[in-house]
Amino acid sequence: MLTRGTLIYIAKRVVLLAFTVFLVSSVVFFAVHSLPGNALISARLHGAALQQQLHQFGLDRPVLVQYWSFISNAVRGNFGVSYVIQGLPITPLVIRELSVSCELGGAALIITVGLGVSVGVIAAVRHNTWVDYILTSLAVLGYTVPSFVIATLFYLVFGVWLATLTNGGFSYPLTWTGTYGTLAELSVPAFAIGLFTSGQVARITRAAMLDVLQQDYVRTARAKGVREWAVIIRHALRNALVPVVSILGPLIATIITGVVVIENIFSIPGLGKEFIESILNHDYNITVAVFTLLAALIGVANLGVDLVYAAVDPRIRY
Amino acid sequence: MSIATEVAQEFDAGVVAREQVSLWRDGWRRLRRNRLALAATIFLAFLALVCVVTFFWTPYPPSVFVGNPYAGPSLAHPFGLDEYGRDMLSRMMVGAQISMAVGLGCAVIAVVVGVSLGLLAGYLRGWVDSVISTAINIFYSFPTILMALILYIVIGPSIINIMVAISLTVWMDMARLVRGQTLSIREREYVEAARASGARTGRIMLGHVLPNSLGPIIVQATYIIPSAILTEAFLSFLGVGIPPPTPDWGNILGTDGLPAIRFAPHILLPTAILLSVTLLAFNFLGDGLRDAFDPRQKR
Repeated sequence: MLTRGTLIYIAKRVVLLAFTVFLVSSVVFFAVHSLPGNALISARLHGAALQQQLHQFGLDRPVLVQYWSFISNAVRGNFGVSYVIQGLPITPLVIRELSVSCELGGAALIITVGLGVSVGVIAAVRHNTWVDYILTSLAVLGYTVPSFVIATLFYLVFGVWLATLTNGGFSYPLTWTGTYGTLAELSVPAFAIGLFTSGQVARITRAAMLDVLQQDYVRTARAKGVREWAVIIRHALRNALVPVVSILGPLIATIITGVVVIENIFSIPGLGKEFIESILNHDYNITVAVFTLLAALIGVANLGVDLVYAAVDPRIRY
Repeated sequence: MSIATEVAQEFDAGVVAREQVSLWRDGWRRLRRNRLALAATIFLAFLALVCVVTFFWTPYPPSVFVGNPYAGPSLAHPFGLDEYGRDMLSRMMVGAQISMAVGLGCAVIAVVVGVSLGLLAGYLRGWVDSVISTAINIFYSFPTILMALILYIVIGPSIINIMVAISLTVWMDMARLVRGQTLSIREREYVEAARASGARTGRIMLGHVLPNSLGPIIVQATYIIPSAILTEAFLSFLGVGIPPPTPDWGNILGTDGLPAIRFAPHILLPTAILLSVTLLAFNFLGDGLRDAFDPRQKR
């Protein structure tokens, strides 16, 4: 599996990834530093007090000097301190938030693939029956209705109406306790993200399965008496998964954007919530740190997808 | 009516030599047969009409106190009032205008940028192609909405800036499509004939390659509109898009609707449904156009 060629390929990709992350964080660094107003705009300081604060954070230095100190600290894993919650070191904060976002995104990814592939397979096996029509329509709804609309509807149905209907006796918790929440608290936000992406997975899986089920080797497998579920799972699905894996890269980007918005709706203490808050608060250091981490996360996810792609499709060799 | 009966009728009517049908008329005829796409077209036409009407008339001024805050739907205010006592119907109408403007504006910008870059990359090949393709891949490797967010906070809040920021994140699909089309069209005999008769590069690109890839370009542009509307709604939903008090679907949902969801869901629900149906309609129209302009491709 891990031949020399594969290792060289991974090494190349890691170098490229590091370069991309560097480039992205540099672009974002200069972008936020060109914002109108300064980092302490929300502190409502003026005159000498403002100058003194700016000096304390080194914000009165030329941008290039600030950039150099940012880069030289960032490669050592130090993203500086927050300007708004003064003196709060950012690195531990964003690492913890990254783990929360990964928890939510991971759950959404599991729902995406699990639900999407099962729906696609069932629709393809029951091709042109009412089962197929219902599932296909649901999939279309899934991938056109935006995740934040699904999330607000979930909020309304499970959080408000269900509680009113049962007089508060039964409702999904729409809060988030502690850092990582509970499984019940995780389920509604994760489904809100996952439904949107699983619609696309279902569509691709269905099309691929329909194509594969027509192939000669499936007929051969059936003819030699392989049981139907074994034909579908072992012979058809394994080949139908190749196009599904190929869209996982863009899907992961969609899931990450979904995570950003859903965290803001359900007040989940993850990277997405921090990202929007830091932009609105002009907390430059956090914005840059969050964006750098997101870029790294997307890069790693894409690398993972490409490796899975090679594992699923033996024709691909790196 | 099937094509066979149509031909038979025309034959009976004495029209033996059928008139030449242009790509557009053929496409329109196919589109009309697709009921889903036709329904989508009618809905979008209605929405466009509403947008035009909004220029001249809304039931109430969209950003002015006209009644009790959070009042539910009534005869005077069919969609109720929001937290500042503003009429929701008027706000949804203005919101529709903004969403459609952003959608169409982004599609225009993305078509101009994507088609030019795609033509250049596909026709000239060589280093031009490498530069453009690398740019496409770099832009692809990032979630569009996060990129739009950064672009947008840098260039500041206004509807034109939103359009520019979103366009910069949706042109890649168009460029890649046109590049692929151009690569195949530039090898056709009629392009070779034009080149042999001394036509200049610019003329071949605009006069031969571009018209022959118009079908896929239009289909792709139809898909750009909903994704631009979605991105704009997303930004406004998070509070970093169209600045209030100007209403738009995203900030109606995020700024007005979400905080009041427990006791006044009427602020949020109609807009959520309207946004979803609009996105659905554009996608159905895109699918219909794709089937109409490219009959070889089966769904």
